[in-house]
Amino acid sequence: MSQPESDGPSAGKQRGTRLRKGSKLFRRTSGALALLVALFTVGLLYAALSPSNAPAQAAQAASQSEIDAGKALYQNSCISCHGANLQGVQDRGPSLIGVGSAAAYFQLATGRMPATENGAQMARKAPVFSEQQIKQLEAYIQANGGGPETPTGDLRNMNDLAKGGELFRLNCASCHNFTGQGGALSQGKFAPPLGAATDLDIYTAMQSGPENMPKFSDGQLTPDEKKAIIAFVQTVNKEQIDPGGFPLGGFGPAPEGLIAFVVGMVAIVGVTLWMGSRA
Amino acid sequence: MSGQGQVPAPSDEQLRSMNREQLGRLGTQLDDVQLVEWGERYIPGSPADKRAERKVARWFLLAALFGLAFVVVFIWWPATYRTAASGEQLMYALYTPMIGLTLGLSILCFGIGIIAIARRIAPHEVAVQQRHEGMSAEVDRQTLAAEVMDTLDKSGVKRRGMLKGTLALGGAGLGLAAVVPILGGLIKNPWAKGPKSDLWVTGWAPVNGERVRLTQVDGTPVRPSDMAAGSMMTVFPGLPGGAKMSDSAVMLIRLRPNDVVRVRAGQQGWQYGDYYAFSKICTHVGCPTSLYEQQTGRILCPCHQSQFDVYDGCRPVFGPATRPLPQLPITVDDEGFFIAVSDFHEAVGPGFWENGKQPQWKSEPKEEA
Repeated sequence: MSQPESDGPSAGKQRGTRLRKGSKLFRRTSGALALLVALFTVGLLYAALSPSNAPAQAAQAASQSEIDAGKALYQNSCISCHGANLQGVQDRGPSLIGVGSAAAYFQLATGRMPATENGAQMARKAPVFSEQQIKQLEAYIQANGGGPETPTGDLRNMNDLAKGGELFRLNCASCHNFTGQGGALSQGKFAPPLGAATDLDIYTAMQSGPENMPKFSDGQLTPDEKKAIIAFVQTVNKEQIDPGGFPLGGFGPAPEGLIAFVVGMVAIVGVTLWMGSRA
Repeated sequence: MSGQGQVPAPSDEQLRSMNREQLGRLGTQLDDVQLVEWGERYIPGSPADKRAERKVARWFLLAALFGLAFVVVFIWWPATYRTAASGEQLMYALYTPMIGLTLGLSILCFGIGIIAIARRIAPHEVAVQQRHEGMSAEVDRQTLAAEVMDTLDKSGVKRRGMLKGTLALGGAGLGLAAVVPILGGLIKNPWAKGPKSDLWVTGWAPVNGERVRLTQVDGTPVRPSDMAAGSMMTVFPGLPGGAKMSDSAVMLIRLRPNDVVRVRAGQQGWQYGDYYAFSKICTHVGCPTSLYEQQTGRILCPCHQSQFDVYDGCRPVFGPATRPLPQLPITVDDEGFFIAVSDFHEAVGPGFWENGKQPQWKSEPKEEA
């Protein structure tokens, strides 16, 4: 801005003299300038009015390197079971087209994938990939068929704890137990305990329905309801100070009844013997 | 009394001259109990005596204190729920233990106090009681029976027929009046409403010809787009109080498009696309069968490990259940919400009770959906 200001007088004088000399040239240049301005404005307007396309392309472009890196990782670690084009391999691994980054995050971050052996069900273990590598694989999976995306931000809705509890008991407790300790399913499969699960693990599990867990789409449980469930599980279920002091694993009536019977019976017999010895 | 032979019965004069202690001693002797040795535990008023009294009184004092503490805790302890994050949860968590502790200790101290009276205050004594024959003497038994029957004979009722009849009638009427209000409330005719009796219909039966919507627990109607493939939703009749209808809970399951599904004969078209609705009540003893394995299509019952196969008409494939979960015919109404086409076509839960009115499900052939 300061540049044209400083040498403004001389330049303006020059241009002014030239343009004034040939009025034809003045008309042509101004016409071309007007056309340029108009075209530029239209371009800006177009960019502003079609927001869905433009940022998507930008994001796509930004993560293209991520996708490529994810593809490279995929071809090293996943391809033998999930196929060269994510289409899955019969009797080995399911198709990954359309499962979304949420499914990829859950399986990779909880260490269930890559699988180390066949079994009734994959168990949680330390993740093989780094956080960055998981992001790259997520990007690659998401770029092929879309699907539920890994959420960001705060995943706890602390204002609806009671509702979260109600939804947990209706939708989750039948398999994961009222205490979140998990439980047995058919033929060696099981609903895992929720003790080690992070907010993001629980959210992506609800989104993607890993293994035999049913999916809970946003139509069935809204994001707010999902966050309320997470808040309930992570605070009320896990951090709760146990009023009894000793929850016996939180497995419910079987161990509690057994302990009550064994300990109670031994105590009663002991007291009876003691009273008999004093008589 | 067999003991009467050993202790001579006192005369009226002797009785009148006896004090309470002597009378008590006589009573034990008449019962064949002999007080061999008896005595105060401590000399009354001695330091040991006072010490014993204080020791016992201490327990009752504790019982009173704990009782008061219970009342205080019950009324004033902060019993409102606090989250763990607030850092104030400990007091809340201690509410129930504190109530139990104070009341329990109060009862315990009172009990120990009573025992302490027996151990420290009550006089020491040694008493011997003679062993008695179990049965009354032959003469006692025969004479008593004769007395009772003789009284009846001489009461004058026996020869008056009308009196006997009306006495029985009066007793019966009075008895009936006493029993009817108690038993009457227990007698109900479950079939009073004919084909619409409670045991024949569930909340899914159309109300005044209008078919019932499938709603979530909070009453939100369900659209097909609400569910992803491989999901299960517990739905209830879209009626007031529908979520509390104990026989109407239904699992709405969305299978995958390429799943091969077989339905039971006569139930073709009861599904809507990939959406199938089955009763959530186990046909064994009525637990909620909500453990749905979305890959294997198994529905598990947590109570006795019955398993049902969604891909095969919800046939029981494991465990004690013998009948498939009843399927609810569903479709979508003008506004795009799920509705039940009709009620269940068979009894839900442990159907009452293989009474021959239901077809024999087990022998039925299966067909492709």
